[in-house]
Amino acid sequence: MRIPRTKLWTLVGGIFLAQGAIQMFGALPLWNQNYKPKGQVSSNLSPDQMILAFAGMREMIANILWVRADTFFDQGMYDAVLPIIRLTTWLDPRAIDIYATGMWHIGYNFTDEQSRSDRRYIPSALALGAEGSRNNPETYEMFFETGWIWHHKIADGFPKAVYWMEEARKRPDLPPARGNILSMAYQRNGELDKALDLMYKQYDAAAKRVLEGGEYGDRNQRDTVGNNINVMLGRMSQRGAFAKPGEKPPVPFDTDPKFDVGFTAQVTIPEPAQLRIRATWNVRPVGTRVRVILRDADYPNAIPGGMVWDATNEVALDPPKNLTYMQDDNLFFRNRRADKTIDMSRDPTMYPLVSDKYYLEFYYNPRIAPPHIQDKFSWSGEGMTAKPEFLNTEIREGQRVVFYRMELTRDMLRRTGDWLDKVPVFATPYFEEDRVRNTDDNLIQVPGILAEP
Amino acid sequence: MSVILSIASTTLGEAIRRRVLLVILLIALGSLIIAPGLSVLQPRGQQAAITSLTMGIIQMTSALIAIVLTVYMIPNEIERRTIYTILCKPVQRWQFVVGKYLGAVAALGMMIFFMTLVLIFVTSLNSGFDIARVQELVKGPFMYFWQMAILSAVAMMFSTFVTPLVNFFLSSGIFIAGTVFSSVFQSFMENRGTNELTKTLASAVQYIIPNFALYNVQNPIINPGQEIVNEFGYYLQSVGYALLYVVGLLVVAILIFDRREV
Amino acid sequence: MEAAIEIKQLVKTYKSKIGDINVVDHIDLEVGKGEIFGFLGPNGAGKTTTIKILLGIIYADGGDARVLGREVGDMAIHKKIAYLPEKPYYYEHMTGIEILRFYASLFKIKDEAKLKGLLERVNLANDGHKTISQYSKGMQQRIGLAQSLINDPELLFLDEPTGGLDPIAHIEIRDLILNMREEGKTVFISSHELSDVERICDRVAIINKGRIASQGRLEDLLKGGRYEITASGVPEGLAKSIQEPDTLVSFKDGRLIVDMPDTTSPNAVIEGILAAKGSVISVIPRRKRLEDLFVETVRQKNEEEKAGGRK
Repeated sequence: MRIPRTKLWTLVGGIFLAQGAIQMFGALPLWNQNYKPKGQVSSNLSPDQMILAFAGMREMIANILWVRADTFFDQGMYDAVLPIIRLTTWLDPRAIDIYATGMWHIGYNFTDEQSRSDRRYIPSALALGAEGSRNNPETYEMFFETGWIWHHKIADGFPKAVYWMEEARKRPDLPPARGNILSMAYQRNGELDKALDLMYKQYDAAAKRVLEGGEYGDRNQRDTVGNNINVMLGRMSQRGAFAKPGEKPPVPFDTDPKFDVGFTAQVTIPEPAQLRIRATWNVRPVGTRVRVILRDADYPNAIPGGMVWDATNEVALDPPKNLTYMQDDNLFFRNRRADKTIDMSRDPTMYPLVSDKYYLEFYYNPRIAPPHIQDKFSWSGEGMTAKPEFLNTEIREGQRVVFYRMELTRDMLRRTGDWLDKVPVFATPYFEEDRVRNTDDNLIQVPGILAEP
Repeated sequence: MSVILSIASTTLGEAIRRRVLLVILLIALGSLIIAPGLSVLQPRGQQAAITSLTMGIIQMTSALIAIVLTVYMIPNEIERRTIYTILCKPVQRWQFVVGKYLGAVAALGMMIFFMTLVLIFVTSLNSGFDIARVQELVKGPFMYFWQMAILSAVAMMFSTFVTPLVNFFLSSGIFIAGTVFSSVFQSFMENRGTNELTKTLASAVQYIIPNFALYNVQNPIINPGQEIVNEFGYYLQSVGYALLYVVGLLVVAILIFDRREV
Repeated sequence: MEAAIEIKQLVKTYKSKIGDINVVDHIDLEVGKGEIFGFLGPNGAGKTTTIKILLGIIYADGGDARVLGREVGDMAIHKKIAYLPEKPYYYEHMTGIEILRFYASLFKIKDEAKLKGLLERVNLANDGHKTISQYSKGMQQRIGLAQSLINDPELLFLDEPTGGLDPIAHIEIRDLILNMREEGKTVFISSHELSDVERICDRVAIINKGRIASQGRLEDLLKGGRYEITASGVPEGLAKSIQEPDTLVSFKDGRLIVDMPDTTSPNAVIEGILAAKGSVISVIPRRKRLEDLFVETVRQKNEEEKAGGRK
């Protein structure tokens, strides 16, 4: 008996049409919705890595790779860790620990010889955090971790820290004590009412849990938040936060009158790629750290005193190689003076200095000042002033910050060309080479700190 | 029908006695049992990693068995000349092909079933017996079974005209391509830079090659707590897809084998 | 005589690098019902190919072949025929009875008693529950014969049924085949085991390089025996005087051996010896053997071809 070949071939044709239709319009869209591994980032991966990943056991492979990465951490081979982070998070988009560790690693571990972070990596760290939170939206962790980078590492762009911490707080698994950080983020963002309101909520919640027979942690949380509320109320009162507009209290607020920080600075370049900075600041004995930035004048997404850190969504394994961005948050003043040499010459990969034009910036924001300083300056610099050349109310909305920018050239920084034998010297206005202590100087009397006689 | 069932059951009986398959199966079962002992992993991900590992073991073993089992099925019959004693009886060639295929799938089903039992046992041993978890777990192997049914049909189809070794690589290649291409296709479609011709070509390829990725439903099993939309509908469609594909491939196999001189 | 197998101008061609090769080259063959037919030829002559065409396993490229009155490939034929391939391997995990059950199921036969009977018939009644892997070669061949008898076939194709068997197994199989003749079955045996064929076949065909070299009844084909006359004390002159056609004469030291066809009377030679005072030691009539015929035919055919190939 012969089989009806033509009919069968027609049948095959029909079947193939039908199977494709079921797949393309039925099963595949549902698969994408339900079962597709989330957060696939196919860029930066080689084809063999992709095939490996598709061969199954993605999570297992991720785990093995991550254990391997541990060795590289121990040996300080940080460059080798980066691709593993990228690969593992891609293989297992639910691996929160890898996302968190990876973000921290990218954000903190790449430093120069003087322990300054390579901030060119920060956008990648943030992008990784954002990706981790997208892939794990049901838990607070990656939101919190990303918020923490904004809050602690970047310490600028405070609305972003608030945004991420608020997102974290929307997740029910956020431990109560970690919710307190949002309150601090609110303060740094100048949202005092929200900060206080959250404290009360946190207190009520903790108190309720204690009444319901809570554990030690609940009691501890209740007491901590209670204490925080006390301090917060005191500070708000002292700093005039409760004053009606134009009201003058019998005893002046600590922020009144505004205090001139007396910032001046001088920059010399004694050796190639070295900045010697001498500066003045009228606070003593200690407590002030001014941010110094040296960057390409046209560094992408840079803004005065910092950068739009989350402008990109891509986790780059390599920093932009030919760009320079040096940020030193530690121009530290002791007894009104700072003298620091920032040596970039030993890290040519981090500071390639290949652009023509550079900005050198000084930036001070009271929002991250320690509380004893903030007591005078208040949260947004209400009690702080400086010479008009330095005081800036524009670059950070609603904040009074100190900002000063100088322009430098590559020849100056590298001591080449015209500057081969000449030491470049820059000074802000009012800078005095060897200032003698002047009794007329208006020195700050930092509340709560004993002034030196 | 009884002829097909006879051939199928004989094939099944032979398949489950093939030493190479039994060795593969034993290795897999052993791996399943020791998998939870791999606690060098990060603690949080351990559950996910072990589920991923065990699912992976089951899937890869099934795929290996499916291919090794099927590629030799018809060539062995020819080499041992048993096919002549069968085809000279009142057995149509299509009955022979269908019977052989059903036998292979039955053997695969048994082996997957066995591995699933071990998976449930090992999981229960480690984290207690939880009927809800078991119900989740078995969805993985259940879908692998259909995946392997297609893979077997692919290998069966090729075995009617290529040698086992070539078939092994062909079928493996198609399995990998059919698993990976879905993602490539997606990225083509989502990338605005892709030109229309490439998109059309990608759609055509996606339309034709078997989409093995459809049966990889392990993600929500590995990371529980995800919302699944229209699960029943999905299973219905993907099983239907598998059946259609298998029938299509078998008809092609029959058409080729019918003309084949053995 | 009603024909069980009719083959006319059958051609099967395989493509190869040096061009198309006719593995079966315009064969004509007819096998009557109830006959035991021997299909002889060296390895690669086209025996198995011809059988496969008759079974419908492969397809002819030309000519006509009918089995039991129907065109090959007809499923109806398959119910009435059986095939025992050369050195088949049965599913080793199965027992003898399971093998029979499996093959029976292909005919939708569910008669256990019949299967037991078949086992008895091939002398495996006590080994039916052993697996094939425990069977000797002879036992495997016997279970093969048993499976081929499941459907009470009218026509059996046996491909090298005694190949590779020890002498006792040989005899067992041969007897089984002879039994089939008694049952009136037609048996088509392809073989190069000539002694077996000679003992059991009614008719044979010799195939070489795809062509039938000769065919016919065995007794006709084997006509043409020889006498061997041995004598002593014969003078050399006599030896030289014997000049019959197709006769071989050897002489040494008065001892004479004459090898002559039986178409010529030996009397003249014997008389000559006696007349020369020689003494006849023996006169042995030697029948033609299938082996001689086979070698003769194949050699002749090859030589013809060599000569023809040059034209």
